Amino acid sequence: MKRGIIHGLLPLLLPYCALFCTGLALTLAQSLGLFLPLGSGEAGIEHYQTLVQDQGIRQSLGLSLSVAFFSAAGSVLGGTVLALALWRMPPGLRRVGVVSKVGLILPHVAVAFLVLLLLSRTGLVSSVLFQTGIISSPEEFPNLLHTGSGLGMILAFLLKGVPFALLLIGAVLFGFDIRLIQTARMLGAGSVRTFWSVTLPRLLPAMHSAFIILFLYAFGSFDIPFVLGESHPGMLSIRVFDIFFQRDLSQRPQAMAILTLMFVFAAVFAMLYNRFAAYLDGWRRKL
Amino acid sequence: MRHAPTIIVLALLFLLPVVVLILQAGAPGWRFPELWPELTFDGLRFLAARPGPFLTALASSLGYSLATVAVTLAMTILPAQVLAFQTFPGKNLLEGLLLLPALVPAMTFSMGLHFIFLKIGLADTTPGVILVLSMISYPYMLRALTTGYTLMGREYAVCARNLGASKRRVFLEVELPQLLPAMAAGASVVFLVAFSEYFLVFLIGGGSVASFTGYLFPLITSSNRGLGALITLIFLAVPIVLFIVLELGLYRFHRKRWMR
Repeated sequence: MKRGIIHGLLPLLLPYCALFCTGLALTLAQSLGLFLPLGSGEAGIEHYQTLVQDQGIRQSLGLSLSVAFFSAAGSVLGGTVLALALWRMPPGLRRVGVVSKVGLILPHVAVAFLVLLLLSRTGLVSSVLFQTGIISSPEEFPNLLHTGSGLGMILAFLLKGVPFALLLIGAVLFGFDIRLIQTARMLGAGSVRTFWSVTLPRLLPAMHSAFIILFLYAFGSFDIPFVLGESHPGMLSIRVFDIFFQRDLSQRPQAMAILTLMFVFAAVFAMLYNRFAAYLDGWRRKL
Repeated sequence: MRHAPTIIVLALLFLLPVVVLILQAGAPGWRFPELWPELTFDGLRFLAARPGPFLTALASSLGYSLATVAVTLAMTILPAQVLAFQTFPGKNLLEGLLLLPALVPAMTFSMGLHFIFLKIGLADTTPGVILVLSMISYPYMLRALTTGYTLMGREYAVCARNLGASKRRVFLEVELPQLLPAMAAGASVVFLVAFSEYFLVFLIGGGSVASFTGYLFPLITSSNRGLGALITLIFLAVPIVLFIVLELGLYRFHRKRWMR
């Protein structure tokens, strides 16, 4: 029995260890100054020490976290609202939701391109405002994409994230047993109460998974920040890229140290968030 | 008409971008402050005159994305069955660990892996790209297949075994047909992840593996927005066509087998 299980899992465990684990191990080793392209020196944690003292890294971390949080929270909120609105439609009309697949299919690079086309100072929205006489030159259009807050990136992530959240939450909602709601209403619950006590608790697991996935994706993603990112402070991923490709090899351990910390953060975040969501769920059930 | 706001929001979010792309593709010279573009077809003409690099990029992207689907399927079909039907100590932990490659930033392991690939000669090759793309996308296939197996249950397989069917035959004639929808769902996601990835193909492929995203990238960061928009539209069309083919194929398969 036991051997059957291990044999069955082997096709996945082998590549998992060979690619994922060794890749991580090498990132860690290089961050400590081992196995470098120019040969290894003494192992040490001095690269982590420089990171802790680096002001710029702290700013990058702040930007990565805030972009990830606002894009994930906004996507889950938008996806939930859209899913609920679609759910209230008659089933035939519900099919209009299929247009949201556009956001799922377009690659991140292309979504960033769309944000550029629409919202840059010489973009479409600016043109519309110019033609209607609200602004008289492109300079009057607010410089949305270079505010230092990552607004352009957040908008691009939203365009990808809303349809994703809609897909996950809609899957639960459209298979929802309508009798639960009818029962609640018959027992005298108002529509607000029904939503908070019957509908929402059943959507929460899907909302939590959408949030974790979108948050961590935006936190570590490269494509959108590469197109839309501002150079300062710059997302963590862009900083890693700069150090890795544009500075000399002696700086490489620092890039690897950032990556190692990003991995630890992502893994711990996913674990803690899951625990927290499970705890909230259990607590709610006890009530 | 109380559903009108929803439809308007959906259209603004997802249809307007497509319209903008179509107009931009038809009018490469469209820029501030013109509102209505003057249609020319320079972008199309450019592609028709020099289709070589574009077709190479498209074929290469299609090739490694489909190969990634095949590799992830081969990696996960047996483990999904184990995870769906067996219980063993540490199963929850293992499932969590197996989801990690899709959750943690892909950069964190791929940059270390790049170094190893350089040493063993997999860097700058298509197999290397396929391997790394499989690593970030297999969790979607694993989840889809595990759900598929769980929904199917093992009764049919046990019954067929009792009636004397070989393991192979049970897999091919009992399990596989019922798993096809789950496989199609997993395959669609894996394909999309692989097809739209830019950074990993750039890192591991090192420029010698052509990719559609790699072809698109310089166009949108430079001023050639018309051509960029055209390529983006093709980008949208390729998966849609594939998904329609997949749906039709599944439908015909099931009709043939008198299922559903």
